[in-house]
Amino acid sequence: MKYALYLGCTIQSDQYGFEASVRETLPKLDVELVDMEDTSCCGFPALSSVSVTGWHYLSARNLAITEKMGLDVLPLCNGCHLSFIETIHALEEDPRLKEIVNRNLEKEGLRYEGTAKVVHLIEVLHDAVGKEGISEKVKKRLEGVKLAAHPGCHAIRPSDLQKVDDAENPQKLDTLIKALGAETFDYPEKIDCCGSQLAVSSGRSTLRIAGEKLQAVQSYGFEGLVTTCPFCFKMYDSRQRAIRGAMRDRSIEVPVFYYTQILGLALGSSPEKLGLQMNQSPVDDIVNKILGDD
Amino acid sequence: MVIRLSSDVDQRQVEFISLMLQKSVGGMHAEVCDQCGKCSSACPVSKEIEGFNPRQLIARVALGKIDELLADEAIWTCTTCLKCRERCPEEISPYDVILVLRNLAYRAGLNYPGVYDDFINGILERGFISEPQEVRARGGGRLSREALGLPGVNGPKDMAVFRGIVEKIIEAGKGN
Repeated sequence: MKYALYLGCTIQSDQYGFEASVRETLPKLDVELVDMEDTSCCGFPALSSVSVTGWHYLSARNLAITEKMGLDVLPLCNGCHLSFIETIHALEEDPRLKEIVNRNLEKEGLRYEGTAKVVHLIEVLHDAVGKEGISEKVKKRLEGVKLAAHPGCHAIRPSDLQKVDDAENPQKLDTLIKALGAETFDYPEKIDCCGSQLAVSSGRSTLRIAGEKLQAVQSYGFEGLVTTCPFCFKMYDSRQRAIRGAMRDRSIEVPVFYYTQILGLALGSSPEKLGLQMNQSPVDDIVNKILGDD
Repeated sequence: MVIRLSSDVDQRQVEFISLMLQKSVGGMHAEVCDQCGKCSSACPVSKEIEGFNPRQLIARVALGKIDELLADEAIWTCTTCLKCRERCPEEISPYDVILVLRNLAYRAGLNYPGVYDDFINGILERGFISEPQEVRARGGGRLSREALGLPGVNGPKDMAVFRGIVEKIIEAGKGN
């Protein structure tokens, strides 16, 4: 298994815990990652809202680079993943748009054919490596830890364009959590939005949308929340203090992890190598519980 | 579909708007949308912000009240969660309609959240919305990509060519 690794703006700018834990864990599961050169933003949501053509140009541009590399691409961010999928679809449907894109790509020495496949991290881990492939490499089982799965909107919808997991009943992230020995179960708010995209126009509403979900997660007895989306992670982890303020609820205390961070702990990696020192939510108790006596 | 626009939006924009809307919503009109409300009941924003309601938005599009919608700040509050698109029994996607309305509002020079200008400038300057930050560690101190052993970030090889292309695409057809 070998993929071109596409980071995108958010991860390469400040979500180092995600990037570090992906680079630490995937090779341990025999997944080779090749860094990309010459990349740019995928266009979502910056350009999709103001210039649909500009958005598709940027996504097609990154896809053209992976075509040149002869590799399928793994965009780590949920937003970039859906952006690439939407562009592939749009360029298939509209040959004129594809022509406009290629006429411009030529000036950058690139060409988009539509041959590269886009894979999601959940697909790589669940479908390619598989739960057995993960379980057999687990050194520290996460026994007795109850974690809520939050796949994030752009990993599961819209079902007419992508099939990472079932849009209404996603189970793959749950399976991946269980593969580490941890417990998880369904909850009503599982496929609800984190609200982060609303931050551009209404800060308070965005915090309330996220806060209601964190309150629910806590009320079901989950000890932490697990995601693979950088936008959702920033919302629930980095803004948790602000969420507490907006909700006027000081009892909100939910440790938030990237899946690859808990995967790494289970595979025996140190918390530092997984970037866990940068999580802003209170993760220490769970990390210590997993590490045990070490 | 009837497109009614106030006189301060020029005819070229009206034609463009008609074309984009027809392309995205096809033959959608009031009879196609049953106003069942599955979109609104799934919408995270409808719960929080009065004035944002995808069911009503579709009704307003169907009635041709486009100019009113383009000027409405509510179109910028969608979180792009895609539940409305997923759950519509008639395969109407309020999400896609909102995306078109946003594009049109931007082109027509109407109000939009200023942060989009920051996004665009970031892309034009370095290829990305944001640049690598030093990130706060829980125990104190700040960590850079370098300190964490992460590789350097490189944008488009020829920034001038990249910028020229993207700038031209964004500006194409934008009315001022």
